[in-house]
Amino acid sequence: MTRPETDGIGRRRFLRYLLGFSAVSTLGMVAWPVIRFLIPPQTRAGAGEGRVLVGTIADIPIGSAEVIPVAGKPTIVINTAQGVKAYSAICTHLGCIVAWDGSSQTIVCPCHDGRFNPASGSVVSGPPPAPLPALDATIEGDDIFVVVN
Amino acid sequence: MARSRTERAFRALLVLAVPVGAMLLILAGSTVAQESSPSASPSTTPTAPSPTLSVPQATTEPLPSLVPAPPLPTPLIHPGDRQSNSCFDCHTAVNPTQQTVSAQWQDSVHGRAAIGCADCHGGDPTSDQITVAMSPSNGYIGTPGRAVTVGICGACHSDIERMRASNLPTDQYAKYFASVHGQRLAAAGDTQVAICTDCHGVHDIKPVSDPTSSAYQTNVPALCASCHADADKMAPYGIPTDQYEIYQQSVHGEALLVQRDIRAPSCASCHGSHDAKPPLSTEVVEVCGNCHRATQTLYEQSRHAQLGRVAPKCWTCHGTHDVSQPGQRLFLHADNAPYDCSTCHDPATQQLRLDITQFENEADRRCDTCHHPNSTIYAQVQGIATTLADAQTAYSGAETRIGEAASLGMIVGDAQVALSEAKTSLIQAQAAVHTTKLTVVTEHTKDTIDKADIANGIAQGKIDESTSRRAAMVIVVALILVNCLIFFWIKRRLDRELPAEG
Amino acid sequence: MGWLEERTGLSPVIKASLHVRVPMAAQTFYFGGIALVLFAVQVVTGTLLTLYYTPTTDHAYDSVLFITSDVEFGWLIRSVHHWGANLMVVFVVFHMLRVFFQAAYKYPRELTWMVGVGLFGLTIFFGFTGYLLPWDQRAYWATTVGTEIAGGVPVVGEFLLLLLRGGPDVSQATLSRFFGIHILVLPLLTGGALVLHLVFVHQLGLAHPRKPKIRKPGSEAEDNVPLRPFWPNYLLDELIAWYILLAAMVVLASLFPVGLEEQADPLVTPDHIKPEWYFLGVYELLKRVPPLIGIMAPVAVIGLIMVWPFLDRSPEVLLRRRKIVALGATVLIVGTIALTYWGYNS
Repeated sequence: MTRPETDGIGRRRFLRYLLGFSAVSTLGMVAWPVIRFLIPPQTRAGAGEGRVLVGTIADIPIGSAEVIPVAGKPTIVINTAQGVKAYSAICTHLGCIVAWDGSSQTIVCPCHDGRFNPASGSVVSGPPPAPLPALDATIEGDDIFVVVN
Repeated sequence: MARSRTERAFRALLVLAVPVGAMLLILAGSTVAQESSPSASPSTTPTAPSPTLSVPQATTEPLPSLVPAPPLPTPLIHPGDRQSNSCFDCHTAVNPTQQTVSAQWQDSVHGRAAIGCADCHGGDPTSDQITVAMSPSNGYIGTPGRAVTVGICGACHSDIERMRASNLPTDQYAKYFASVHGQRLAAAGDTQVAICTDCHGVHDIKPVSDPTSSAYQTNVPALCASCHADADKMAPYGIPTDQYEIYQQSVHGEALLVQRDIRAPSCASCHGSHDAKPPLSTEVVEVCGNCHRATQTLYEQSRHAQLGRVAPKCWTCHGTHDVSQPGQRLFLHADNAPYDCSTCHDPATQQLRLDITQFENEADRRCDTCHHPNSTIYAQVQGIATTLADAQTAYSGAETRIGEAASLGMIVGDAQVALSEAKTSLIQAQAAVHTTKLTVVTEHTKDTIDKADIANGIAQGKIDESTSRRAAMVIVVALILVNCLIFFWIKRRLDRELPAEG
Repeated sequence: MGWLEERTGLSPVIKASLHVRVPMAAQTFYFGGIALVLFAVQVVTGTLLTLYYTPTTDHAYDSVLFITSDVEFGWLIRSVHHWGANLMVVFVVFHMLRVFFQAAYKYPRELTWMVGVGLFGLTIFFGFTGYLLPWDQRAYWATTVGTEIAGGVPVVGEFLLLLLRGGPDVSQATLSRFFGIHILVLPLLTGGALVLHLVFVHQLGLAHPRKPKIRKPGSEAEDNVPLRPFWPNYLLDELIAWYILLAAMVVLASLFPVGLEEQADPLVTPDHIKPEWYFLGVYELLKRVPPLIGIMAPVAVIGLIMVWPFLDRSPEVLLRRRKIVALGATVLIVGTIALTYWGYNS
C-alpha cells in the first residue's frame, strides 16, 4: 500500500509546507495578543497609584470647591477652614452631579435642591436619602491630593 | 368814488365772514369726528403691539372677615390629683364596651400622662360612689356636646404652662376657629363639621408621630376622606367628594400611600390641619413652594409671576389633587387647541383674568391654551418646547447607545458617568421652564446636548471596539478551521497506512 | 535533533513516552486531553493576569478593571481565563462520565481513577478561590455564602470556616490566602496529580471499551486487540479536538466578554446572591433539605465516587451488563442537573 517514491517526496514537501503554515498561524494567533498584553498601556497608571493630584491651593482657595474626575469618577474637592475635604460628586438621590454653592457654603445638587454638609457629606435638606461617600484628601505643600481608594 | 357808510360796513362784514365761517366749519367738523371715533389718531398704518403687556392691577377681592372664636374656657377643675382615678377602676369592669374604652384610654397619650376621665368629663375621681363621682353638683358633665368638646380640648391645649413639658404647640384652638370647620361652627352653630375628636380620636388619642395614630401623615388622606368622600355628608355644603379618589392616582398620593414616604403632602400639608382652608389663588405658589422651593425661585423669575390674576400658577399646569408627572406633553396640544377668549378675558368686564375652569381637563393644561399660535409669544413657547425635546432626544439616544454597548458585554462605567452629567443638565433645563425664559432654558439644553454627545461618543467607541473584536474573531476562527482541515488531511493519509481494525 | 540528543540524553524518554500504541477501539472523545490543554491555557492566561493584578482589597477591583478596559488584549486574556475555567469544569466532568460509563476505572486503573477524582476536586477548588479575586459584589458575596456552607460541616465546620476565611469574615485575609492558594498551592498540587495521572495512564494504556483487563495475567491469552500508534495518529486526533476547543474559546471570549459588577461592599448585600453555576446544585439542595444533609450528602457522594472502583469489583465493562450501576449514575446525574437548573432559575 506504499505510494510511489516520487509522489512521496512531493507529498512530503507539501506536508512540511502545511505543517509550517499551521505552526506559524497558530503561533501568530497566540503570540500576538500575549506580546501586546505584556507591553504596559500608555493610559492612566492603573491600580496602585495611591493618589491623584487634583490641583493646588491657588486653584481651590479656602471657601471654594471644584468638581474633578478622580479615577474616572466625578469628585468634589472642597477647601474648608477645617482642611481639604473630598466626596463623590454623584448625588445619592438620582445620580446627578452635585455643585458647590459658595454663597451658602454648602454642596448643592442642582436637580432637586438636595444639600449636603461640606464638613461630613451628610444631608442637610432635600430628597437625598444618604450622605455623599467621603474620600481622603491631603495637602502637601501647595498640592492637593485625593487618595484613590 | 365815495362809498357810503353802509357800503363800507357791509364789505367789512363780508371780509370778516370768511375766516370766521371757516373757523366755525372747522370746529363743527372736528366735533363730529370726535363723536364717531374714540381715538383721535388715524388708523391707516397698523401700530406695533406694545412689547410689554400692562395688566391693570386687579383689586383682590376683600377677604370676608372671620367670625371671632368663642372665648376660651378654663380647664375643668375637679377634686383629687393626677393619681386619683376611681372612674377607671369602675368603668373597666362595668361592661365590655366600657372596658374597651378604659383600655383605650390607658394606652393613650392622655392615659400615660395621667390626664384622667375627670379632666374632660368633670366629676369626682376620688370617690368610688357613683352618686358622688358622677354628680353634676361635683362638676360632672357627662359626654360633652360637639361644640363644647372643642372648648374642653382647647382649654388645656392652649395653655402654655401645661403644654410646655410636652413641647406641644398651643395655637390649635385659635387656628381651628380660623378654619372653614371652625367658622361654620362659630358662625352657624353647625356641629356636623369636624371637631378635635373626629381626627384625633376620643379615648384612644396617640401622638401624631405614632404611625398607628389616625392623624399620622400616611393616614391623613383616608381620615379627611371619611367625611369629604361621603356624598351624604357633603351634600348640604355642595363640596365635591372625588378629591381622595383623584389624589390616590396622583404622584403625591402614590408617594404617600404606596411608597409610605411621609415627606409627600397629605391633605393637611396644603390645606392646613387645624386651620384647614383651600389655598387662595394668591397663596398657591407659596403653598407648593413650601416643598418645591427651588421651583418657586425659578417661577418668581418668570413673566408669569409678574402678571397677577391673569397668570398661570402651579395648579394651572400641574393640577391640584391630580398632580401627575410633568412631561413634554405640557407644552402644546397634540392637535388644534380649543381657543376661547374667555380663558383670559372676562366676558363681562373685559378685565384680564385666568379662568381656571378652562384647565380642569388635563388635556388642556398646555401653554397654547392661552398662547394662540398667532401671538408674538408663541414663538418663544415653541422654542422652549423644541429645545427641550431636542435635549431629551439627545439624552435618550445616548442612553440607548450605552445600553447597546453594555449588551455587547462592554464595560460602560465611564459612559454612564458622562451620561449622568448630561442628566444633571437635562433636569436643570426642565426645571428652567418655570422661568419662561428661552435663553435660560437654552443654556441648559445646549449643555445637555453637548454632554449627551460625549456620552454617546464613548458608548459608540465601545460598540466599534466590539465590532472589530468580532471581525478579528471571524478571521481567527477561519484560520483555526484551515488548520483543522490540514490536520484532517494528514490524519486521513496516516489512517490509510494503518492495518484494518480487528 | 542529534545536537540536542547528545547534550540532553532525553531521546529514550521521549521515545518511551510517545512510541506507545493505543487500542483502535478506544473512544475517549478526547475529553481528558481537552481538560489537560485547558489547564495549560489557564496556567498561561493566569500567569499573564498576575502581571497586572493586585491582591489587596484596595486595589484588586481597580486592577481587574484596568486589565479589562485599558490593557491591550486584557479583555481577551481575562475572558479566555474565565471561559477556560468554566470549560475545564465541564470537560473534567465529561471525562469522568466517559470513564465511568466505559468502566475504565476498573482493575487495574483504580488508582488512576482516585487521582482523577482528586483532580476534579482541585478543579472545583480552583474555581472557588479564583472567583473571589476580582473583589466585586458578586465575588465577595458568593464567597461569603460558599464559606458559610463550608462552615456548616459538622464537627470541623467552624475550624474550616476560619481556615478558609483567615478570620471570622471575608476580608483582606481571605483575599490573600485565596490568591496564594489559587496561584501557588493548587497549581503545584494539580501539577503533581497530573504527573501521577498521566504516568498511570501511560503505563496502563487506554482502556478498551468492550474488553476488560483480565485480573490474573497469564491465565488466559492477553487481550489481543488491534492497536494504533499514539504518536502521531492518536495525538493528531487530539490536536484537532484542541483546535476546535481553541475556536470555541475565541468565540466565547469575543461574543461574551467577562464584565465586572460594582466593587465589593461588605455593608450592602445584593438582592440575589448566587454562587457560580457548578455550585448551584448544592446551593439548591441546601434550600430543600436540612443543612446537615445538604452539606454531608455532596461530601458523601464525592467520597463514594472516589472509592467506587473498590466497591464495584465486577469485571463487567459493557454498559448493558451494568444496568444497575448505569441507572444509579443516571439518576444522580439527572438529579444534579435538575438541582442546578432550579438553582439557576431561583
